Amino acid sequence: MANKLAILWALVVLAVGVHQVSFWRSARLDTDVLALLPEDEQAPEVDAATRKLADEAGRQVVLLVGAQDWASAQKVADEATRVLEQASDVLEPAVVDTSALEQAVDFYRPYRDRLLTPSQRQWLTRATPEELGGTALMKLYQPAGARMTDWNADPLGLWPDWWQARAAETSARPRDGRLWLSGEGREWVLLTWKSKVSAFALGDGSRVTSVVEQARARVEATVPGARLVAAGVPLYAEAAAAQASWEMSTIGFGSLAAVLLLVWLTFRSLRPILLVGVSLTLGCAVALTVTALVFDRVHLLTLVFGSSLVGVAEDYGFHYFAARQGKAPSERGPVMRSLLPGMALALVTSVVAYLALGVAPFPGLRQMAVFSAAGLTAAFLTVVCWFPSLDRGALPVTAFSERFSASITRWPRITSTRGWWLTGAVLTVLVAVGLWKLKPQDDLRQLQGAPPNLIADQRELGRLLGLPSPAQFFLVEGDSDEQVLAREATLKQHLDTLVSEKVFAGYRAVSDWLPSQAQQREDAALSARAEAQAVAAVSESTGEAPTRATFAEEPLTPSHFLSGPVASAIRQQWLGTLGARQYSVLMLRGLNDPKQLPKLEAVAHGLEGIRWVDKTAEISGLLGRYRRIMGGLIVAGYVAVLLTLVARFGRQAWRAWLPSVLGTLITLALFGWSGAPLQLFTVLGLVLLLGMGVDYGIFLLEHPGDGSAWLAVALAGVSTLLSFGLLGLSATPALRSFGLAMLLGEVTIWILTPCFRLPPGKATH
Amino acid sequence: MKTLLVLTCALLSVSAHAGDLVKDVRARLADAPLVRGQFEQKKTVAGFKKPLVSKGDFLLARDQGVLWNTRTPFASTLTLTRKSLSAEQGQGGAAYHLDSTKEPALAAVNELLFALLAGDVSTLQKRFKVEGALVGPTGWRLELTPTDAGLARVFKHIQLEGDAYVRQVKMDETRGDSSVILFDKLAQTPPPDATEAERLGK
Repeated sequence: MANKLAILWALVVLAVGVHQVSFWRSARLDTDVLALLPEDEQAPEVDAATRKLADEAGRQVVLLVGAQDWASAQKVADEATRVLEQASDVLEPAVVDTSALEQAVDFYRPYRDRLLTPSQRQWLTRATPEELGGTALMKLYQPAGARMTDWNADPLGLWPDWWQARAAETSARPRDGRLWLSGEGREWVLLTWKSKVSAFALGDGSRVTSVVEQARARVEATVPGARLVAAGVPLYAEAAAAQASWEMSTIGFGSLAAVLLLVWLTFRSLRPILLVGVSLTLGCAVALTVTALVFDRVHLLTLVFGSSLVGVAEDYGFHYFAARQGKAPSERGPVMRSLLPGMALALVTSVVAYLALGVAPFPGLRQMAVFSAAGLTAAFLTVVCWFPSLDRGALPVTAFSERFSASITRWPRITSTRGWWLTGAVLTVLVAVGLWKLKPQDDLRQLQGAPPNLIADQRELGRLLGLPSPAQFFLVEGDSDEQVLAREATLKQHLDTLVSEKVFAGYRAVSDWLPSQAQQREDAALSARAEAQAVAAVSESTGEAPTRATFAEEPLTPSHFLSGPVASAIRQQWLGTLGARQYSVLMLRGLNDPKQLPKLEAVAHGLEGIRWVDKTAEISGLLGRYRRIMGGLIVAGYVAVLLTLVARFGRQAWRAWLPSVLGTLITLALFGWSGAPLQLFTVLGLVLLLGMGVDYGIFLLEHPGDGSAWLAVALAGVSTLLSFGLLGLSATPALRSFGLAMLLGEVTIWILTPCFRLPPGKATH
Repeated sequence: MKTLLVLTCALLSVSAHAGDLVKDVRARLADAPLVRGQFEQKKTVAGFKKPLVSKGDFLLARDQGVLWNTRTPFASTLTLTRKSLSAEQGQGGAAYHLDSTKEPALAAVNELLFALLAGDVSTLQKRFKVEGALVGPTGWRLELTPTDAGLARVFKHIQLEGDAYVRQVKMDETRGDSSVILFDKLAQTPPPDATEAERLGK
């Protein structure tokens, strides 16, 4: 039976090995923080919008090079370009199509008469025939008046203004053959490059980042006070990859080294080291395979979090070797059988705790949960199925383990004395005050581990270029293209008031480039009337009979627009049909003050088919909601664990239960005292603590008075501490807070559990 | 839509082969901070059989701007400074104003117009291929062909003629229209009066 299991497990391991080879050949790893964010089940269209906006950037690296004056700015831009050009295997210039303007102008030419800005619409409505005629004459006679089309196709010179309004979508303007903008005390040159290296390759070094840093150094050295601001998905991906691989090796190898050192100290034999090493390797490999099979792509943070698995999965091996130490090799089978109930119970509580992390609808958390649960189970199965067969030789008791096992008798044990009651009372007060001081925080930033300089650059670039925010936007819904475009127009009228009040700088909407058909007809009629008057005035003044040009008969349709040369710039805002409805996104520029958000939210209230989406607020709300739900889950979990323990240990169950409860409360109190905020991820750490902390109590109750159980618990505790302590080093605030909660909780539980052990000579069953 | 702009008058420095010519022309031009005089403009525009003729006077103040006052066939004023372009009609109340500080394309057009009227060859050289010849003991003629795509979208060709002053500007637009401006009664005095100074200060 045991042999069959061992062979079966070997087959599984073989399959996993095959999968691992193919997995690492084409690693499908995710670095995007967005991938960690929950999907919105109620509103798939909001989700579609967010992802479409995020995909747009792709491989682009945008740089602004600035100096005090235009001449210096051009000089440093040339220097930066030279550096970037040298790295031709990493970066290539994004091709700026010089014929794009001509193509766009030609595309819109037949529709010129129905493309008006709001102020032109207003002016044409109220202008007198004299004013219209006068304006037409002045523009006709003006020296060097460069027009974009023939005079008779635009007698009032309206078209350049319409293009000017479209150009306002970015603050960059052509100047001296470059893209120029002025802001924050400097003149800037805009450079757009594309990364040629794959968006993510682990261990490939930060190639794009280092080229950009070289360019930055050159810029700063060439002209004092000159600056380079860079942003782009490749830079974020590289930072994330570099950070993750550093963290993975620190946490993974750090805890592995610690675990193996502990094994060596305790057993002074190569066999336990090898076997524990095998169980950990298999645990990690199976975890990765299962995760890769369940999910489409494995996220980098899953791997970082997963490295802490080493410190947890070693428990089973420790228990086995601690119990088997000093016993004859023939007793391997009975030793394993006597350990099995406790180990299985411990596995179940840990796996349940890990899976409970997946209750929150964050794909990232679900991955971490699946990864850890699979890894633990695999390590457990390796110990149970393989260890008795592979561990054949003798394993004498070492001096270290003997001394350590004996230490349990000297560990303080809580009894009903005055001193202990007093200690308890003081602790209760301290914990109560700490809990009262605890401050919750549900900021989205806890998920963002990017280096602060990258974030600062990104913000500055967005501000200077006037880029629209991808996190706050209006979602416009309708049952036809026409209705969506008309609703956009209504929304824009309301927004224009806020723009004039300087609440934000402006917006970007599909209807700017493609007005609704009704609007086009209306504007065509308006310009036809006004231009007829203008042409008449010019005829009268010149004594000639010029005629107004004719335009396309049909309005510009969405399908024609989408196949045209302009659509690529705005297509990501046109969501098209989702379900049976049409959707578009209206984006906002220059929205820098969060206090203004309620004003924008208010705009959407009275308007049909318009929804205000604030992804940041939405996710923060979600983080808060799940912080409370998981908090409740912890309470329920402790009750369930108590019932389970009572079923097995009867009236002594509290001895395994109370240390974990106290550990949780003391951890929270420490967070409160230190001023560290209570986040969803702190709470998740506590969920995990619930599953693991009880294990120690279970082992001590299962094997009362058995020094080897204490030895195993101590070893397990120290290694768990280490790996979660190392997780506390992570640059991602969420993982740090998670690791910290685990670390503090584990230390407390580890210290407290033996204090609640059974009095000598008593047994639970 | 970074590349989509109304008027992309990008400057591209070119190595001019006409170094000597430019030097000679500059030597023949008067170095005047102020020029005023009369103009006659003939514009040939598609849709009109006869050229559109306008007459008036102008003032060119170096580093400040141009005042272009049309007298016939109707009265109107055009004020072109480093900061803005504004036009007003005597009657009818028609007027418009453009701010060039935010739109370098407009600023570039202004700069070009200054350079053409003042015969500022070294500025023109940055954006045009300059060819030409000296004419007689005091005259000269220059042929300008745009060297950058932005300007080439607007002008096919520009011809300048003059002596101590620019006497004639002929512009052929890419879209087929053309115009000729003749200058007369050119002088370096009197300085701007109060109204003129106010307009230039805008």
